[in-house]
Amino acid sequence: MSTIDQCPSTRDSVEIPEAASPLPAESGRKHWRSVEEFAGSPGFKDWVEREFPAGASELTSNTDAGRRDALKLMAASFALAGAALVPGCRRPDHKIFSYSASEPEHSIPGKPLYFATSLPTTDGVEGLLVETHQQRPTKIEGNPLHPANRGRSSARAQGEILRLYDPDRLKEVRVRVADGEKRDATWDDFTETEGQGLRRLREVHGSTGDRGRGLAVIAASRPSPTLRAMRDRLYTAYPQSAFAWWEPLDTARNQRLGTELAIGRPRHVRLNLERAACVLSLASDFTDRGEDHIRHAREFAKTRRVENAGDEMSRLYVAEPMPTPTGSLADHRYAMPPQAVSALAVEVARRVLDAGPLRRMVSSLPELDVALLEDAGVTGEMVDMIAQDLLEHAAQRPGSSLVVCGDDQPAEIHALTAAINESLGALGTTVEYAPLPSEIEADPFAGLAEVAARIRRGEITTLVVVGANPVYDAPAELGFAELFESVEETIVLDSNMSETVAAARWELKGAGPLESWGDSRALDGTIAPVQPMIAPLFAPALSEIEFLAMLAGQREPNGYELVRETWGGIAGAAPGTDRFDRIWRRALHDGVLSPSTFPSATSRVNPLRIEDAMSAFSIESPAEGELTAVFTTSHVGDGAYANCGWLQELPHFGTQVCWDNPAVVSPATAERLGLLPVGLSSDEGDLDAAYTRGQIPRARVATVRIPDGAGGTLETEMPVWIMPGAADGVVQLTHGYGRTEVGLVGREVGVSTYPLRTAANRSGVAGATLERVAGETFEIVSTQNHWSLESRTSIARALDKRWFDGHASGGRIEDKDKIYGTKRKDGGLNLAEQLGELTHTPDNVSIYTNPQNRSKANYPPPAEGQPFLSQPDFAKPPQWGMTIDLSTCNGCSLCTVACQAENNIAIVGKTEVAKGREMTWIRVDRYFVGDDLNHPDEMLNQPVACVHCENAPCEVVCPVNATVHGPEGTNNMAYNRCIGTRYCANNCPYKARRFNFFDYSQARYNGSFVGEETVFGEDGVDQRGFNKNFIPPRLREQISEIEHMKMNPDVTVRGRGVMEKCTYCIQRINAARQESKVRGIWDDPAQTAPIPDGMFQVACQQACPSESIVFGDILDPDSAVAATRDSQRSYLLLGYLNTRPRTSHMLRVRNPNRPLLEAEWGRRRELGIVSEAAYEDRMSDPLAGHGGGYGGDDHGGEDGGDAHSYFSDPSKRNEDRGYAMSLRVLGGSSMGVLS
Amino acid sequence: MAGLFPRWMNALPTLGAIAGLGGAVLVVTGTWYYATPDFFEVGYMPAQPDEGFNHQLHAGQLGIDCRYCHTHVEESYHSNVPSVATCIGCHGENKLDGWDTHKVGWIREAYAEDASIEWRRIHVVPDYAHFPHHVHVAAGVSCYSCHGQIAGMPEVYQAESLGMGWCLDCHRNPEANLVPPTEVTNLVWVEDEWFSKPVSEREHEGLTPAELVESLKRNPPQHCAACHY
Repeated sequence: MSTIDQCPSTRDSVEIPEAASPLPAESGRKHWRSVEEFAGSPGFKDWVEREFPAGASELTSNTDAGRRDALKLMAASFALAGAALVPGCRRPDHKIFSYSASEPEHSIPGKPLYFATSLPTTDGVEGLLVETHQQRPTKIEGNPLHPANRGRSSARAQGEILRLYDPDRLKEVRVRVADGEKRDATWDDFTETEGQGLRRLREVHGSTGDRGRGLAVIAASRPSPTLRAMRDRLYTAYPQSAFAWWEPLDTARNQRLGTELAIGRPRHVRLNLERAACVLSLASDFTDRGEDHIRHAREFAKTRRVENAGDEMSRLYVAEPMPTPTGSLADHRYAMPPQAVSALAVEVARRVLDAGPLRRMVSSLPELDVALLEDAGVTGEMVDMIAQDLLEHAAQRPGSSLVVCGDDQPAEIHALTAAINESLGALGTTVEYAPLPSEIEADPFAGLAEVAARIRRGEITTLVVVGANPVYDAPAELGFAELFESVEETIVLDSNMSETVAAARWELKGAGPLESWGDSRALDGTIAPVQPMIAPLFAPALSEIEFLAMLAGQREPNGYELVRETWGGIAGAAPGTDRFDRIWRRALHDGVLSPSTFPSATSRVNPLRIEDAMSAFSIESPAEGELTAVFTTSHVGDGAYANCGWLQELPHFGTQVCWDNPAVVSPATAERLGLLPVGLSSDEGDLDAAYTRGQIPRARVATVRIPDGAGGTLETEMPVWIMPGAADGVVQLTHGYGRTEVGLVGREVGVSTYPLRTAANRSGVAGATLERVAGETFEIVSTQNHWSLESRTSIARALDKRWFDGHASGGRIEDKDKIYGTKRKDGGLNLAEQLGELTHTPDNVSIYTNPQNRSKANYPPPAEGQPFLSQPDFAKPPQWGMTIDLSTCNGCSLCTVACQAENNIAIVGKTEVAKGREMTWIRVDRYFVGDDLNHPDEMLNQPVACVHCENAPCEVVCPVNATVHGPEGTNNMAYNRCIGTRYCANNCPYKARRFNFFDYSQARYNGSFVGEETVFGEDGVDQRGFNKNFIPPRLREQISEIEHMKMNPDVTVRGRGVMEKCTYCIQRINAARQESKVRGIWDDPAQTAPIPDGMFQVACQQACPSESIVFGDILDPDSAVAATRDSQRSYLLLGYLNTRPRTSHMLRVRNPNRPLLEAEWGRRRELGIVSEAAYEDRMSDPLAGHGGGYGGDDHGGEDGGDAHSYFSDPSKRNEDRGYAMSLRVLGGSSMGVLS
Repeated sequence: MAGLFPRWMNALPTLGAIAGLGGAVLVVTGTWYYATPDFFEVGYMPAQPDEGFNHQLHAGQLGIDCRYCHTHVEESYHSNVPSVATCIGCHGENKLDGWDTHKVGWIREAYAEDASIEWRRIHVVPDYAHFPHHVHVAAGVSCYSCHGQIAGMPEVYQAESLGMGWCLDCHRNPEANLVPPTEVTNLVWVEDEWFSKPVSEREHEGLTPAELVESLKRNPPQHCAACHY
């Protein structure tokens, strides 16, 4: 044992046995988050070394801002503060408003009340459970009884809260008068004025008029039975009117066409992934896209969790053009353009069908250009192996292997997928073809085109738009904005601002889904109610259902009655009867009408039709130098949620960019086109420029040209950003940005890509080009370098199933150092910890006992046979802990949004994010692994929040005791004590602390200086050169009353100068404790724990669709978290620092197909992409150095660094080198990045 | 020059120093004593709307239990104020033979208009401190401990400081402050029969303060996050 330790103070005296030369770079696999980190640029080092990134602690964003101005402003703020002090001495007059004569039922002040409802959007249906405080919705969670999402909810559903309390909502009915100005009006003006609005509509288009010939209605295509029923009413009143359901994305179109081809009817492909053992995804992001994605994520996660050696685990192959959450879960991921994905489908079909009952179809499959697949790194031999694997799994257990086809693949490939699945025996087990609800619009693009054609012919004199935004998102070829202008009378109803509303003559305020009655039908047939929790905020307002009923002639439409009427027909009982009321009340309580799901249906494919289609099918290889464009959406969806700050600030998957939608290409493609971000391209010299010259990295701007599918070309200018892991020759464009009329948050964020999208090219198109616009750059904000744990190692850990099986049951290593991390019950380190540094870390017993420190580390080790927690502290239940499973986390970031909603976390805006001031408590780190920048071997997602160290480094440095430990193991913040020294953030190795540099939660976002017209430039700097956030809080516009309503009353809203971080949702813990005590559960001897497991969930755990986050009482033997924390896969992040985190992460287990892995890596080795050493490293057992069933504290002997050495960096700080060297001296070999 | 300053002026610096020191002591002790919730908050008695609500009459003389109006105090974080309908339950037309009409006209008006009554709030803890009523009531903290002898107040005022030190006094010494949970709202009994006795002599139907504390299974929390989150 060496005397060397990592204490920097002793560093100088250490004789480092070897020159500080770095090990060969290829000796271990790198984990990196960005290009700068990959390259190890000094600028990047500067960036990450600070506890907050460069510039985060400067007040102004513009150094030109005069000091004099600053003083002036400060003087003004002091003056105002003085003025405010006088009334401040008086006690504020609080009022309590009693309920009046009518008290709302079930309402208990101080207790949240939950309503089960559902949210029908153009994107699908989600069942929701909405938390309300005194009738005020504050938080949206999924409804556990709704089969579509079972308790989880998408980011957009959570953002519905912000849509409800959107300060830019439509507050008045408005009408454009003769001079073109809009003026406020009333509903009566619309309904009662002679020759105007509704009366004009009835007279001109009613039975006495043209019977609807001149009337067109465009409504948002929501799957809602009552909404559909209103369309029929409208047809009755105006028989010749044109009606279009509009849905701007219509993602499932190719699936419908493909199933129609395969089985004769359009069908919804329903996956039951729980039983899957081998899945091939053809560019399908099934765990993050589509109505079923939440169910998919949960079911698929169940097949990916292994606890013991030999546990079954599914295998996932993904071929996709751009990294997706599903792709990040893959065991084998191939980045390839969409055409190559189609080719892969055909090649797999050729092999799979040949072995099954549909053998005769093989001859119809087209011969393909093999180069397409070879270019993407897939040889015929590899396809053989994939097909073989699918067949083998299917033979073992019929239905256990399946192919999933992505939305943008052509219909023929969808049909072919159906044939493959039938041949594999998956039909009827893991894959079902479910009937489509009649509420799904077959072809919204055709409907809108028909309306557009009628407008163009001049037939339409009145155009009504309900809840849709075609002026913004109609296909480009229609030129809809001009058509809209050309219509004589335009009437638009919407709850929130939109481009269509702005262009309309009549803008009518609508009631949102949390304010009105309605219903929804999910893809599986489930009917669910939409019930209001709050009266329309800007009453009187009509819901879409009520408005359509009004147009159809009803005089005071009542959504409640209309929904009940429709349901009467569905339930087979007239409203008002006892039977109906029972059904109705049950449905309102449960949030679903039961039973209303479709019976499961199996269909057989029609081989003849597919053969016909396939023999006519061909795949065009993309032309040299041209790109293939693919469209996608991000958190804001089709753009409807663009004014939700939470979703705008949530980093996109992969690029980690927020507040923008740059065109995304692979680094190699960007280099070829000269579009690498400023400072990265070789012709500009150093990599530093991006991070040292300016605070915000700048992207190149390019002209994007895309074929419109009809011979023409569409173009727009937008910034270009790079994403490792993207297929070369593909450009990804993200819809939903560049809104102009939406509100303060979303206005002009990003660039609209709808002008590039036509009905013909919407599934992606070849032949796109990017041309650099000389001299133009654009600031892009990406959080990928924020909160970096750079230069620490073994952060995200992964292990092949092969090695996991080999070591999970055997091989123990003595935990010689009793105070470290989790360990097995037998006293050894568990498997995941063996992969880290602990086996090589010297004894690290504190030489002094810190009185502030309540960790059991300060107590002597327990007696033999005693559990560790029998120490004086942390011995009393409950003791809270969390585990986060990297095996199943797909990086969807729902945890981040849920946390933001629950904990009143403010958004900060683009310029602030650029400085690393984002406030989200839980972040999802995304690591690329491998030595190839362009094609990393794999991606790992790792959510990191405060890990609640028992030995918390933050606590000991707080001068005012504002962050202290609770008796239940939580590390708490007393906000009212915090004076903002930020020492704690400086001392946090996890970078989990967030500081309120400004008054983010109280001052109005994008607001201005009260009493002065302030013009902010693009960079958030006003005319005097001040960052808008520098305006003193007292002088800034405060958030409006309506925005206050979104706040969770159980959580303190933090002000300027206060540190904050994950609290383990202490408000939920405390509420549960109070409930447990009041109900007598706390001291009930029958309970194993004072707060039973599952009594409450923390927000991130509640939101996680794959159930990767487990939280609970680690002392409760029956709790889920006790089991996961005890697992072989559990490890403590940076555990060797002796922080003793309460959150442990769980090692990712990969399940690659070994022969295929060898083939892939062998090919890359031959091509010189990976070195011999890297190949050996990937193929060998990372624990082999420990000698398999090693015992004692053998660290693998002194056999040197060889295959598993740590990765070292020439520029690594001396401290780190000293530490690394100390480990080396100890004979450690596998401190490095693990694989 | 000698005549310019009288001799007694030699004492000025000393006097000045003493005065300065004394002033500083005064400021410190003054702040110490006066700038506290004990001084500023106790006795706060804002004027309630119209006739107000006479707690002495209702809770004291008529003996109406606190929970008759503050209905959710046992199950919720907040102790609610009653809805107007609760008042009308007794004070509706002809319910009390009309003797109360001269005082409750405004309540009936509010009821008829379905309007709310704007009571003035007396007991306020800051937003960053959380005080759950239900747990305290369940544990046996009498209303009396925080709100004083409400049954004797014609007009309610703040009887305790509600400062953090005051909270902790009780959390650190629950034995002296808990009452039998069944008698939590029995304010007169609590004052006369329980708190008037020394802790060692308190006993009610076999329950002693020590047993009350024991029944909590853990002492009241004293860490920050119990109240501040």
